[in-house]
Amino acid sequence: MPAEDHVSPVTKHNADETAAPDRFLSLQALTKRYGDTAAVDAVDLDVRKGEFLAMLGPSGCGKTTTLRMIAGLVPTTAGQIVVDGRDLTNVPPYQRDMGLVFQSYALFPHMSVAANVAFGLEMRGMAKADIRARVAEALQLVRLTGYEDRRPGQLSGGQQQRVALARALVIRPLILLLDEPLSNLDAKLREEMRNEIRDIQRRLGTTALFVTHDQDEALTMADRVVVMNKGRIEQTGTPEDLYERPRTAFVAAFVGRTNRFPGTGAGEVVHVGGVTMRCARPVSGPVEVMIRPHRIHLDGSGERRADDNHASGTIIRTTYAGNVVQYDVQAGDTVFNVEQSTDATGALVSVGTAVTLSWSVANTLVFEAAP
Amino acid sequence: MDERPISRILIWLASASFLFLLAPVLIVIPLSFSGDVFMSFPPSSWSLRWYASIGQHPKMIDAFFFSLKLAGAVTVVNLLIAVPAAYALVRLAPPGAATLMSVLTAPLLLPTIVLALAMLIVAARAGLLATPQGLFLAHLVVTLPYALRIISTALATVPIAVEEAAATLGATPLTVFRRVTLPLIIPGLVAAGALSFLVSFDEVVLSLFMSGPRLSTLPVEMYHHVESRADPLVAAISVLLVLFTLFIVIVVDRSLGLARTFVK
Repeated sequence: MPAEDHVSPVTKHNADETAAPDRFLSLQALTKRYGDTAAVDAVDLDVRKGEFLAMLGPSGCGKTTTLRMIAGLVPTTAGQIVVDGRDLTNVPPYQRDMGLVFQSYALFPHMSVAANVAFGLEMRGMAKADIRARVAEALQLVRLTGYEDRRPGQLSGGQQQRVALARALVIRPLILLLDEPLSNLDAKLREEMRNEIRDIQRRLGTTALFVTHDQDEALTMADRVVVMNKGRIEQTGTPEDLYERPRTAFVAAFVGRTNRFPGTGAGEVVHVGGVTMRCARPVSGPVEVMIRPHRIHLDGSGERRADDNHASGTIIRTTYAGNVVQYDVQAGDTVFNVEQSTDATGALVSVGTAVTLSWSVANTLVFEAAP
Repeated sequence: MDERPISRILIWLASASFLFLLAPVLIVIPLSFSGDVFMSFPPSSWSLRWYASIGQHPKMIDAFFFSLKLAGAVTVVNLLIAVPAAYALVRLAPPGAATLMSVLTAPLLLPTIVLALAMLIVAARAGLLATPQGLFLAHLVVTLPYALRIISTALATVPIAVEEAAATLGATPLTVFRRVTLPLIIPGLVAAGALSFLVSFDEVVLSLFMSGPRLSTLPVEMYHHVESRADPLVAAISVLLVLFTLFIVIVVDRSLGLARTFVK
């Protein structure tokens, strides 16, 4: 890329600053406002080269808008998008070298598979013979060799999405942008494609940004996950960080299943509807307490420590789901959802049985209650 | 085929309605082979004399070629206006696009006679009466709404994501239109073109108001002929027109498939 031609004094400064490999993509106070509402509100984010980053959040949280701003399809209101030291904020989409994969595949229906994949190379004025070689290579990568002459309409959803992936990757994009690419596929295919996308991304070392509302997808695929809510980043971290050490109630509730109780903090302990439990950090006033269902032990199950939290209650509902059983346990005024993994010899505990629950202090997450 | 009685009744009903709609057209065919001097049904004798006599009416032939050229020009200019207009209304969606679309397609709903009268007044003032330019503009006004509607619909069915995908792959806006949008709306363009051509070629009321003794279109010339003489000449011309129209429809059908073109 003839970078020198484009680089203004301002971007040159950025070039020096962001040459570090851990700031390959850098969003700086990126903002998108529609009228008075901010769809994306001053988002700062750095992505390493070769990293697979997932942006996770409910619909309307601004994750797709952020991705579309990076692709250049949505103009920014404020802030900067810097890639590899180059300020792309005001560069039109056709000069950005981003590979975008859409939820709807967005293949060109009037072109063959080969022509779809070749399109980006043609736009770059590449020689015919080179295009053919690169297209063949890309189709081999997504295991679609032999489908060159098919039309998109003759392919299954999964095949179409693989063509879209090949079309985006063949231009060797700066960043591979994936906008809910698996949402239109059925469950089994989705899992297959997860691994496939992940493997291809690792093999090519492409930096990838993956937008999804599916926490499983985000946790299983990404090196790092950005959780967004209402146009802001709630937390950025590894999947384990988010699951085990959520910094906000929103992240705790959005990533993984959890019990969620309103409570009152009184120093080291929290009172939750007739149950008193100790928590990892001192709190006071109205709080929200979150405990993952599978981190609560029923009676003798699991290893017990003396300083665990305890509660006594009665089972009011039993839900058998094959690999796990879910129990609803009434303790005081609170209903705990408890999840136990099953094994062939274990018997289900029936409704009405009195049980003792125990869980560790570390698994008692406490957050200031939302005002 | 379904064997339920209700569907058989429907088929009968449909056939009856078709017959009712097409009967007048079908009667023209035997009439055109009449050997009589006057139009009467059924003809008392058969001949090809009325087909042969078309050649002896140079005004009729001139009018046919003028109608052909007029419809051709109207179709081309129509598409040149309608494609960018539809693109602006659908893709750029400026404020008030819906209102603008209604205004632009209003001539579809207006009684043609009102339109014709208005145009007569305007054309008379501008000195465009009985000129090719006047007829051209009048036909453009009545055919543009059709083209605009059809092309807008065609454009609206092209997913924006497909155009965005092309843009991210390095295509400039003009290339996106040329390589992606345009090929995808070709069925709409053909439909809009065919419809513009046929509407212009068939147009009577406007042409009647706007033409003069030295310049008239084929339908107007036929109308004048029937007014003065009731011979089966117009029947012979009508049969040729039906064949011509069928030819256009078949060409459209062969190139794209009728269902895909006219049924959205």
